[in-house]
Amino acid sequence: MSALAGTRPAARRPAIGRLRPRFRRRELGLLALVALALLAGSLSLGWERAGRPELAGGGLLAIYLGTLALVHLGQVLAGRRTDQVLLPVVGLLGGIGLLMMIRLPQDLVQQSFGGASLGLAQAQLIWLVLALVVAGSLAIVVRNDTWLRLYKYTWAAAGIALLLATFVLGRNTNGATLDIRLGPVSGQPSELLKVILVIFLAAYLSENRPLLAERSWLVGPFRLPPLPYLIPMIAMWAIAILIVVVQRDLGAALLFFAVFLLLLYVATGRGLYVVLGLLAFVAGSYVAYRLFGVVRERFDVWLDPWATAQGSGYQVVQALYAFGRGGLLGTGLGAGLPSVGGQIPLPEVHTDMVFAALGEELGLVGILGVLGLYLVILERGLRIAASAADDFRALLATGLTLVVAVQALVIAAGNLKLIPLTGITLPFVSYGGSSLLANALVVGLLLALSDRGVEPPPPPRAPGGRLARLADRGAR
Amino acid sequence: MEASLLALWLVRLAFLGLLYLFLLAVVRVLLRDLRSAAREPGSELGRLVVVASPDGEPPSGSVIPLDAVTTIGRDVNNTVVVEDAFASSQHAVLTFRGRAWYVEDRGSTNGTYVNGSLVDDVEPLGFGDEIQVGRVRLRLERPRA
Repeated sequence: MSALAGTRPAARRPAIGRLRPRFRRRELGLLALVALALLAGSLSLGWERAGRPELAGGGLLAIYLGTLALVHLGQVLAGRRTDQVLLPVVGLLGGIGLLMMIRLPQDLVQQSFGGASLGLAQAQLIWLVLALVVAGSLAIVVRNDTWLRLYKYTWAAAGIALLLATFVLGRNTNGATLDIRLGPVSGQPSELLKVILVIFLAAYLSENRPLLAERSWLVGPFRLPPLPYLIPMIAMWAIAILIVVVQRDLGAALLFFAVFLLLLYVATGRGLYVVLGLLAFVAGSYVAYRLFGVVRERFDVWLDPWATAQGSGYQVVQALYAFGRGGLLGTGLGAGLPSVGGQIPLPEVHTDMVFAALGEELGLVGILGVLGLYLVILERGLRIAASAADDFRALLATGLTLVVAVQALVIAAGNLKLIPLTGITLPFVSYGGSSLLANALVVGLLLALSDRGVEPPPPPRAPGGRLARLADRGAR
Repeated sequence: MEASLLALWLVRLAFLGLLYLFLLAVVRVLLRDLRSAAREPGSELGRLVVVASPDGEPPSGSVIPLDAVTTIGRDVNNTVVVEDAFASSQHAVLTFRGRAWYVEDRGSTNGTYVNGSLVDDVEPLGFGDEIQVGRVRLRLERPRA
């Protein structure tokens, strides 16, 4: 009998088969408000359309709210002390997205599952329900993070494989290679890739954090990190540039690189790394601007969309008009976006431009509220990170939060013509299965990480060799 | 007709109002959380959790908040007194220098280990790392925020 095994505190096993419900009063209260708000929105939409008081998409909304209630019930029965704010906030964002999908023309998307043809709102509802179930079950099931932190190079390999698969199998949409198709389902791997990337970065940075933060060599006036630790950074930069070059996917490249720089800063506290990264990004962007038509076009449209208002600048110009029509309080759900010759004036209104649609129908007040919801997610995520027990969990929670927050920021700013428009989704609101499921993974992991009573982190590396011998000697 | 338009307008505003009511409720929850966190003393730089301690001093499972300099050893003048036959009287010292924690062996007989490898001189520590002094294993954890 070794002393090592004898003295290790017995790991607390999850009580399977023995339910210890813990009521979540705050979550229930907030969910009730979510239901009220969504019903008001549905009433407003239905009234606008039919001219008399009725609920629009009442059945779809009922299924959605029912799923939210079931997920809440699952959390209560599981009895974990997880965060009670995230689920209602995500529920409200998803619900606003669902209302928008009910409001938009249903033939924007035609999904057929086994003979049944689904319109926009129905397809979105299915993805939303799946996403909520995924987030809820992750929050219940994930009780230790060894499988995340131990296999970081496996995760990295999986991510790179996913990236390569997109390069090879990807289909072209609007000049960017985003989708891969597997049987009846097509997906955007970059959405999943962002989660994998955060897991890898959190594991890598937490293991090497002391070295990255302290050891350095001097080059002129600059203190640089040791070379073995510079290489992954250069690799990340290369991946971001590669995504731009091969896939023409500017949004994903921007998102990945921004999250990478922010995480590096959080891990090391060194502003210089961020400055160097930004300089590298600016240099890379300039080269890309010179070499690639897509990048130059996006940039020129951003500088002056009116020059090509009927061509490449059409989308941006229409988005600006939409915000203008919305004004302070908005036109009201269902009252905006008059169709021009039977066509929706805003291309990609259900995915990339959904923020502009919200701006038109809910006004400045409405989109400020939506941005407030993202801020709440940011605050909650960073709080979870700040109270984490060790570096890996802290960095993982920070990274997961930042992925959602930065993505929302990039696409909202793109819609508003604050930065060049890049095609990524507004998390939880835009139409799209990959986006919803990937963000559900984020929420589920954050909820699991927020549990105060979670298993203690495992020892970083298994004690072996002399250490084990020493412990054995002591036992005899 | 006018009345119904007014009612529709009110429903629209009600939707926006409920959105903000929800935000208000969330912010109240967040503020309460932050206040209760602020009441706890939060100036510690890190904490040691005793993972294993065969002789029961320090008791295993106990949590020790850390100062910027924390000495570990058998001598009673150490910050953390370790009652273990394999620990030296002046065994190791943990120091917080600006950004990170460091561990230094003070010429102990059996050496100090970090994650199972022997500390030569001074070594940087990350939160979550495990330090072994004699047979006592301690884990460095982030301070409670």
